[in-house]
Amino acid sequence: MSVFSVIGIAGSGATVYRKWLDAVSDNIANLNTVRPTSEAAYQEQRVIAEPMPGGGVQVAGTTVSGSPEGKLVYEPNHPLADAQGYVRYPDIDLSSEMTQLIMAQRGYQANLSSVDRAREAYQAALQLGRG
Amino acid sequence: MSGISPVGGFVPFSIPTTVSPVVGAGAPDVTGVEQAAGGGFATALGQGLQSLQQTQTHADELAVQAATGDLTDVHDFMIASTQAQLATELTVTLRNKALDAFNEIMRMQG
Repeated sequence: MSVFSVIGIAGSGATVYRKWLDAVSDNIANLNTVRPTSEAAYQEQRVIAEPMPGGGVQVAGTTVSGSPEGKLVYEPNHPLADAQGYVRYPDIDLSSEMTQLIMAQRGYQANLSSVDRAREAYQAALQLGRG
Repeated sequence: MSGISPVGGFVPFSIPTTVSPVVGAGAPDVTGVEQAAGGGFATALGQGLQSLQQTQTHADELAVQAATGDLTDVHDFMIASTQAQLATELTVTLRNKALDAFNEIMRMQG
């Protein structure tokens, strides 16, 4: 509905930030996911945003960053350790993920603020017709 | 002491005799208004009600999804219900205004 397009645009932004939150929480959840050295380590998930043709933003797709080699850690007692006693940890920086979490949360809140302000503005305009 | 000094009288500011047109605003599009008037208010209101129906159907679908647990985005439901609420208020306000105008005209007979 074109009359309330502000709300739709802000809603698309909120959806993108929600997906970013999903990706960041996925990364944090897999921070200690151990793989044997014969497999690739878990890689950091990233969300790619792109502008929508009619206004708004959408997720173009996800990509992975960081090396599939990860971090080799010497844990000879680990059940997945290889003959040399090494396992693979993902190469994810927790502080970077926490920063992204704050950015995604604030972006989500900012978009919802836009929705709220637009609603207030429309209702103020409708008050004109009630006098 | 002469007391309070008199306030210098009201000086009328010069009213500009020629108002320059606002650049970029252009002339209002009268043709569109005439076309809408040709369709009639009832047609416009009918289209508005159809659009309102679509908005409310969308909000209802999301409400069902929220109840069944299929809702992926909470804000989608809240935004759809906000849009439905605003569209309803807009339609009701327009209808009330039209009814007020009709009643006003009917009172002219008395």
